Amino acid sequence: MTELAQHSTDYSVVEAEPPEIMGRNLRVGAHLWASATVFFFFAFLFAYFYLRSVNQQGLWHPHGVKAPVALGTLIAASVAASALLTLFAARRLRAGDQGAWRAAGLGAFALGLLAVCLQVVQWWTIGFGPTDGGYASVFWGWTALFLLFLVCTLYWLETLLATSFRYRGQGASGHAPGEASGDPDRTGDDIARPISLVGPGVDAFAFYWSVLAGIGVVTWFILYIL
Amino acid sequence: MSLTSHGGRIGALTVIGTAIVLPLVIFVLGPNMPPGDWTNAGKSQVFDNTVLLAVMTPFTVFILVYIGYAVTMFRAKPDEELRDGPPIRGHFVSQVVWLVTTTAAVLFLAIFGSAELFASNGSGGGSGPNPIATPGGNVLPVQVIGQQWEFTYRYPTYGGVETAELMLPVNTEIEFHVTSLDAIHSFWAYQLGVKADANPGVDNIAFVKPTKVGAFQVRCAELCGIWHGYMFDTGHVVQSSQFASWIKQQRQAFSAVQRYLPKYATTYSPDPVARAG
Amino acid sequence: MKLRRLIGFNLLTAVILGVVGFYVGWWLGHLFDAASIDYFEDTGQNDIALFIAYFTGVVGFLVGLGFANYPVQRMLGKPSSLREKETRGAGRYFGLCTDHKVVGIQYLIGIGAFIFIGGLNAMLIRFELLTPTQHGWNANNYLTLVGLHGTMMMGMMTSGIIGPFANYLLPVMIGARRMAFPRIEALTFWLLMAAGVVLMTTIAFGGFPTGWTGYAPLNDQANMGMDAYIAFFALVGLSMSLLGLNMIATVITMRAPGLSWGRLPIFVWGVVSTSVLMLLAAPVLISVLLMVMLDRTAQTGFFNQAAGGSPYLYENLFWVFGHPEVYVLALPGMGILLEILPVFSRKPLWGYKLAVTGMLGIALLSFLVWQHHLFVSGINADLRPFYMLSTELISLPTGFIFVAALGTLWAGRIRLTVPMLFSLAWLFNFLVGGLSGVFLSDVPSDVTTHGSFFSMAHFHYTIMGGLLFAFFAGIYFWVPKMTGFQLNERWGKVHFWIMFVSFNSTFGPLLVIGFLGMPRRAVTYAGYLQGANTWVSVSAFVLGASMLIFLANFVYSLVFARVPAGSNPWASKSIEWQLPSPIPVHNFDRIPTFGDDPYPYGTDAGVAHRPAVAPARPTA
Repeated sequence: MTELAQHSTDYSVVEAEPPEIMGRNLRVGAHLWASATVFFFFAFLFAYFYLRSVNQQGLWHPHGVKAPVALGTLIAASVAASALLTLFAARRLRAGDQGAWRAAGLGAFALGLLAVCLQVVQWWTIGFGPTDGGYASVFWGWTALFLLFLVCTLYWLETLLATSFRYRGQGASGHAPGEASGDPDRTGDDIARPISLVGPGVDAFAFYWSVLAGIGVVTWFILYIL
Repeated sequence: MSLTSHGGRIGALTVIGTAIVLPLVIFVLGPNMPPGDWTNAGKSQVFDNTVLLAVMTPFTVFILVYIGYAVTMFRAKPDEELRDGPPIRGHFVSQVVWLVTTTAAVLFLAIFGSAELFASNGSGGGSGPNPIATPGGNVLPVQVIGQQWEFTYRYPTYGGVETAELMLPVNTEIEFHVTSLDAIHSFWAYQLGVKADANPGVDNIAFVKPTKVGAFQVRCAELCGIWHGYMFDTGHVVQSSQFASWIKQQRQAFSAVQRYLPKYATTYSPDPVARAG
Repeated sequence: MKLRRLIGFNLLTAVILGVVGFYVGWWLGHLFDAASIDYFEDTGQNDIALFIAYFTGVVGFLVGLGFANYPVQRMLGKPSSLREKETRGAGRYFGLCTDHKVVGIQYLIGIGAFIFIGGLNAMLIRFELLTPTQHGWNANNYLTLVGLHGTMMMGMMTSGIIGPFANYLLPVMIGARRMAFPRIEALTFWLLMAAGVVLMTTIAFGGFPTGWTGYAPLNDQANMGMDAYIAFFALVGLSMSLLGLNMIATVITMRAPGLSWGRLPIFVWGVVSTSVLMLLAAPVLISVLLMVMLDRTAQTGFFNQAAGGSPYLYENLFWVFGHPEVYVLALPGMGILLEILPVFSRKPLWGYKLAVTGMLGIALLSFLVWQHHLFVSGINADLRPFYMLSTELISLPTGFIFVAALGTLWAGRIRLTVPMLFSLAWLFNFLVGGLSGVFLSDVPSDVTTHGSFFSMAHFHYTIMGGLLFAFFAGIYFWVPKMTGFQLNERWGKVHFWIMFVSFNSTFGPLLVIGFLGMPRRAVTYAGYLQGANTWVSVSAFVLGASMLIFLANFVYSLVFARVPAGSNPWASKSIEWQLPSPIPVHNFDRIPTFGDDPYPYGTDAGVAHRPAVAPARPTA
């Protein structure tokens, strides 16, 4: 029986893993997390239609509960624009244009932040609270959790931009060896050429951000238009 | 011994086993199945349970016989040298037979269950505010109000009197309207074969026709808070004449407080919280 | 790097920061001027503060373990890395370690500890039910015990097999060195541990009265102990989601050359089908719990029918999660069963494609059956026949698993080792559980059995008789591989027989008792059921005692006796048994190439996997 592994083999056999593997992981991971996100917001979709059809005590959508459409549209539009800009940035990065990716990425980040700020402004100025009926409950819950997802996903974009800016002009091997490892006793790299992971990272992010923007558009349609 | 004869033996044991168990299920267990045959709903459930058990019997006997047989006959001797068995990865005919028989059984049970459900007007189960299958003719509506931690009963056709005791006339179609004032409860009248959740703001309708006189147990079957375990009652099915005199007596006894009760309605709510707008 | 050395992020710093975080959150929550918020004045309780405190406490705990280090590094632009602390000493079991094998063992011990607590609760419940009248616990404590038992078990056992066994073995079974996202893997474990602690704090806040299903409106009425339940399940949901994501991503992207989907060990298929459910159903749970949280704090009206909401919304959303959840509990057990039977029958898995179809069929159908929990609740009566059909249909793919198991036994050379005994018992128990499920799926029958002990016995047969027996099968089978030491076979058989007999003696009568009219979760019951209940309680105590036998065997064999197991004590032809025990930290010297047959029993092919060439790196 051929021995497939020995305890005595040097640990460095796990180091310098080809970055393509993590690239695949990121792509698949983004798709899976997107599906989980869709199911998360599906619960609110279900709540919306269920409570609307039941209309218990006639308190689904009482008089005076009016969501400001203009601000809501602006929020959805900012998120959608940010997603489109990200798709563009990803395309530029794949073509090798680092500068365009960084500029567009920053723009997408700014638009995302704009959406967050506008949402907070909307809450501050809106004429109803979470206690004002079924629609109000769904509105506040849905927008609050969507905001949470926006903020956390913008964090992801920030990390991609930060790595890109930090090592700009240095190529794929521009970092110090072992700088990346989370284990303080090691000096080797877990992944070879880790800076090159920005590319797959941006692709994965662009996909997820588009899905989230899509959810944002659906949210806008259901909460403001229907 | 060849594999075919193993198969033959298992088949024979299955047939024998089924031939023994099935009559026991149908003739011995069947008539004594819960929840008993006091009501049309109860009878329907007993019949339903018997059919379910009868359909399950051949499959259960087969699987148990098979496992017992295999573990006995195909066992490696404790100190024998380690040897592999034959590399059999599947057997098309067996798989098809299994698939066809189990599918047939499942489809039969689903259709049978649905038919039984409609034929018995819900089999005593709570069917919501708009049940599909309803009994024709005269029904006696009885509202069951669940609250933490007590059931009370209102008779809308008798002036909306609310009583703490449940009495029903025998051989009358009863239309239960089950609702709650606070948390979710469940009205479970065991011997009647009735169970209907009590949801606040909802009118849950269940039909039953008691055919025997006697006392039955009522228990709350949905966790409703700290004294859920004490939310039980004893109801009675009595002769119609006895019921008539009882309800008359109840109306007299409660006439003083009648005017404080809200008007009879299928659901009751606190005044709407005036938060909107 | 220097900072990490100095402080040493570990369990101790985690606990300290967790407690500090909790109190910071508590203080923050109390900054809300109570007098200005009607809700506080009316109820006298500050759920907002408690939720914030749980949040900051868990965040503090995770920061203390070192989970914030990498995210902060990434914010500063440092490049991606995979690993933390994989090669240093026993301390790595008590902190953030990205070695999937360490995470697997952490899961085994951690989940084991919480299941032990849950089991203790069950003993206390059965103590109360010795007599029909209340004699043991006050009403509130009884309901909290019931709720704690169910909630702890459900929360922990969802990851009960995937956590320990899939984490340890999945990368090995597919010829990989790591999981797709190693840090997230470690995170799922520590989230679960934090969740367990959060749930136990319910005792300090008065317990919760709703049982594990947490129905509205009772969950809104309840006092502050309810918040622990909500926080627990939200954390468990997050852990489940991430765990499922990681498993699926790993199997998709990290398979070794030659390992197509049709050649995967059946255990991997079990993990994949479970993971799909975990990934998609758990977010719905988190959503609905956040709605409950909003109802309790911001006074929204999701489930309050006096404010435009509906309790049915909760029931529906909860069971949209809840039903796939119970198949999360059933599927891994099926995977283990079908993985173990070939080894101890010395035959390939019979009907591999049928078994895979069965698992995927169960996963798909599990999303379409949830309203069978609401048959008598007053839902639209038109829907019931559909859900009756879909629920009955689920017995078909389950039947595929059974026929694959039976076929594997056919003409085998069966060895009745302890893992095999537990696997055979699984077949018996799940048969009873599955058949009782057919009763429950039939609406007329369900009228009597819903909410009764019949329903409770049904899910204990499938979850405990199924999953827990499979869990022990997995332990006796794989712990020799994970630790390098044997578990005593004789004491294993004692454990098995006492457990199997007492398990059936406990839950068999409960099927009957339920049919005879005893509702669930009630502290009293009708007098005519006393004899039966006393029998059940005594059986349950024996069942609990059998766990102590297991525990004694486990500790004695691994800590004191330490008999080496060798790399392949079961003479299995699966790849994990071709490696040393325990598996080296790097898994494989060289990534192996897989042949076309995961179960080459009875053929001359021998071991299916061999490295393409000899190891490339010389030994150190």
